[in-house]
Amino acid sequence: MKRVRISRCATQLLAGRTPRRPSCPCAAGLQRDITPHDYRIQARSLSTVAIEKDSELDIGTPDPTSSQPAAAPAPPAIPHRKRLAPEQLPSPHPFAASHSTKLSALRARLSLHQRFPLQTLARTLVHPSADPDPAFNNASLSILGANLLGYYTTEYLLCNYPRLPIPVIFAAQHAYTGPKALATVASEWGIEAAAEPGGEVDPGLLQFRRLRSGSRVPAALRRQVPWKWNVTTTHRIVATDEFGSDNTPPDPQSLSAVPVPMEEAAQSFVRALIGALHLHLGSPLVKRFYRDHFLSRQLDLSTLFDFRTPTRDLSKLCAREGFEAPVARLISETGRASRHPVFVVGVYSGKDKLGEGAGASLEEARFRAAAAALKAWYLYRPIEVTLPSSMEGELDTRKWKPNMVDCGEVIV
Amino acid sequence: MPLSAIKTVAKPQNGVGAFILQCKRLEFHYCDWAGSSRGMNAFIKTSLPAFAKRNPQIEMAISPRPRKHPVIRAHYINGAQRAICVRNLEAESVREKAEMLRDASGEKNKRVNKPVTSINESVRGIWSPFHGDEIKI
Repeated sequence: MKRVRISRCATQLLAGRTPRRPSCPCAAGLQRDITPHDYRIQARSLSTVAIEKDSELDIGTPDPTSSQPAAAPAPPAIPHRKRLAPEQLPSPHPFAASHSTKLSALRARLSLHQRFPLQTLARTLVHPSADPDPAFNNASLSILGANLLGYYTTEYLLCNYPRLPIPVIFAAQHAYTGPKALATVASEWGIEAAAEPGGEVDPGLLQFRRLRSGSRVPAALRRQVPWKWNVTTTHRIVATDEFGSDNTPPDPQSLSAVPVPMEEAAQSFVRALIGALHLHLGSPLVKRFYRDHFLSRQLDLSTLFDFRTPTRDLSKLCAREGFEAPVARLISETGRASRHPVFVVGVYSGKDKLGEGAGASLEEARFRAAAAALKAWYLYRPIEVTLPSSMEGELDTRKWKPNMVDCGEVIV
Repeated sequence: MPLSAIKTVAKPQNGVGAFILQCKRLEFHYCDWAGSSRGMNAFIKTSLPAFAKRNPQIEMAISPRPRKHPVIRAHYINGAQRAICVRNLEAESVREKAEMLRDASGEKNKRVNKPVTSINESVRGIWSPFHGDEIKI
């Protein structure tokens, strides 16, 4: 598979050449066929209000000494130009991004490359609830970032733990890149939220319309009733989000101009940052960023299991795999007649010990032993793993080693 | 369903993958007139640009605080603030104080008794009386 060039695939997601984009009189003849660098496109064409005519746009910048072409005072050739004060914009002007100390500090704190423009970083901080214009908020970038996060997490889990049951995969996805995890990541990066979005606010702050205390969460986020009456596992895998919830996640653009909770805005920022990094720096750097910031977090997969009937599952599993039926045997015990007895029970299939557990009663110890045996089966980890994303753009297919695909969890 | 899963959030381990410096903002307050700010003013004039260049992760803010002692105030990612009064200090000591604030984590100072603190479970496991060699008396 050949990699698409970044400059080409990036331009459609950044602020594009919309029909009502103001035409720059100097650059129009020069830049017809070439694709200029991304931040220039954004910087020249960004405006955050609905404009009736092209000629009406000229936005007052916080720093009039800026050397950018659109920041220069209007040339006398075009009359009737109206300067918009920054207070009239729904989100900060991109020119303000290059002067924001918060933004450059954030870029350095995340060890992002200097090639990653501050204007794009500022755009990832604008939630659709602050600025409904899709050319200036992070809705499109957050869709891309959500897909990338889901892809990298799923492939890591499926390749490294091929026997994980599907509810545990969902829970692990939720633990690594779920809404709560992303909001926590954003707060650990030192993201602060603006009290109220606006053009005059520092672009280094997270911009979203805050939910007033006591008011209800917007309807798009609140859809708790499943829209399909029989929510099956297949439905959860195919039709909803990657965390196995009952309904589909809200479309980011549907939240425009609606007050949202902070968690929603923070997670959209993290997703949009991943998407923007993918567009500007390419997938190898994004994968490294993902590994450093998300996969490095500590998650013990064995604590995610919640068995109802481990003994029954284990005997079904042994029957399916052709092992002998499991038998629980007492290994050792102490204080049977005392207040604190301890029993150590092992589960054996023939002569092989599958698992062992200690408990205060024989039943409890047997259950723990069966659960330990099931966890040992489900948490199997192959020694050598080739992630599919590591082969992107590779022409030499000899490096590829097929991963193990298991037949799935026990169905009782 | 024979099996369900428990929803949690993965725990952060700062420095295991990426390292995020916990100090996010340093404010330098000085006074033009008072003598206790002499070292602070010299620090701001001479070594603060280099200090800011060496620590791009930190947002620096300088503001006058007339008729008061000079103060360095640090803001941390966990929301904590820490301030050090640098009155009558030389420029070099002011730099040391600024570096001290930069390297702090924002947590309250704690006495560390154990040599190792870990969220991973012990490799050797917990000793069990039922396993291993039996002791013959």
